Amino acid sequence: LLQRTSSRQSANLMQLVYGIAKSKSPTSVGSKQQGSSEDDESDDEIIRPKGEGRKKSSELLDPSDVNVEDCSKLKNKADTENWKENEMLQSIRDRFITGDWSKAARRGHVSE
Amino acid sequence: MGKTNYMRLKGSQNLRLRLLLSTLSSTPILIEDIRHEDTWPGVRPHEVSLLRLFEKVCDDCVVEINETGTKLKYKPGIVVGGKHFVHDCGVSRSIGFFLEPLIVLALFGKKPLTIRLKEGLGLKIESRGAPPLGGGEVVLTVPTVHNSLTAVTWIDEGMVKRIRGVSFSTRVSSQFEHAMIYSARGIFNRLLPDVHIFTDHRAGPQTGKSPGFGISLVAETTSGCFISVDTAVSHGREEETGDLGDDEKKELIPPEDVGEQMAAALLEEIKQGGVVDSTHQGLLFLLCALCPPDISKVRVGKLSPYAIETLRHIRDFLGVTFAIKPDPTTETVILKCMGSGVKNLSRKIS
Repeated sequence: LLQRTSSRQSANLMQLVYGIAKSKSPTSVGSKQQGSSEDDESDDEIIRPKGEGRKKSSELLDPSDVNVEDCSKLKNKADTENWKENEMLQSIRDRFITGDWSKAARRGHVSE
Repeated sequence: MGKTNYMRLKGSQNLRLRLLLSTLSSTPILIEDIRHEDTWPGVRPHEVSLLRLFEKVCDDCVVEINETGTKLKYKPGIVVGGKHFVHDCGVSRSIGFFLEPLIVLALFGKKPLTIRLKEGLGLKIESRGAPPLGGGEVVLTVPTVHNSLTAVTWIDEGMVKRIRGVSFSTRVSSQFEHAMIYSARGIFNRLLPDVHIFTDHRAGPQTGKSPGFGISLVAETTSGCFISVDTAVSHGREEETGDLGDDEKKELIPPEDVGEQMAAALLEEIKQGGVVDSTHQGLLFLLCALCPPDISKVRVGKLSPYAIETLRHIRDFLGVTFAIKPDPTTETVILKCMGSGVKNLSRKIS
């Protein structure tokens, strides 16, 4: 069962990455039938106020906005308060050399 | 003149990736609808500057932009590289914006590249500058790949053995840096004693034109991984697109909070358990895909949206599809791909 769920998950990830994203697939100059469907989608964009839309989408990386800001950085909203808690620190203790080495070694093995 | 077959794309998104992949795969691209519905349509100054940069380091590349700037034709040339380049990046984006694609591009150049990037925001950092006026300058030297990259199996993220960092400040008191470092150390020292954060306070002509400060933190692991985060705080530029709403000048975030936030962000990245941090996932995938036709296997944490975009563009330009498999026990993701076998064409011709 575990294997099955994991294989399904992997299919999902592949789908997430490659499945959608129609608009990004290359269209050579020769094939022209693509145009119409993309026009539909841009119709709703006309309605919304420009400034507003831009501001929100830049945070969310909305795939339908083709003019999203080009930025590789993930705005990682780490919860600062959380990381001051001991519990949270314990959860990654073994990722440090000060932690339990045998546990860390096992971690490596299981995943391979 | 033969007819050119352009790959058609839309919008300004991922322009850097597109130009880079277009050049490396010798695929001309035609981008339409660049902010065509915006109040200020067309390409932005930093995007034009990026195109000029590509023109500078490449031979025979052709850039055409229409009158409104909403349509862009790019016909890639040969990456030449060389020394003594100077490029003015403008101030609408940081130098990092230009560095990211340039590094990969330069690897595939005919000659090693040395370039001085000016006016952006803070390799060898000659001077640092913060927005809105910038004034930073960096010198970048990139060697070339002689024949090809080498495929890797890189799935051991190791254990964090030390944390290093640099804080910087321009046109503010160096106390800002001490406050950031103090609060960041406060969090790290409960996990690890080996934490050193250096200061880089700039004065005089090296300090750029606007006040600002920031910090970058790197965790090094026993298996040689570098997990990093960084941030810079300054009075940002009001975007040309005209967000006129921001009435009063916002106060900068207090440095103590910046230190804590970045420490937390680094721990978050460490927790993800990849061999690179989420910002550099895309770069890693790109390099894997540019390898010779061997299998590369890498482990990353949760895929970042930019990394996903990168994967899609890699597929479109290089025809490389990754096998993506989650690893439930560690909550990481393993990616495997066969390199596209892109050679350093520029060198071969010479």
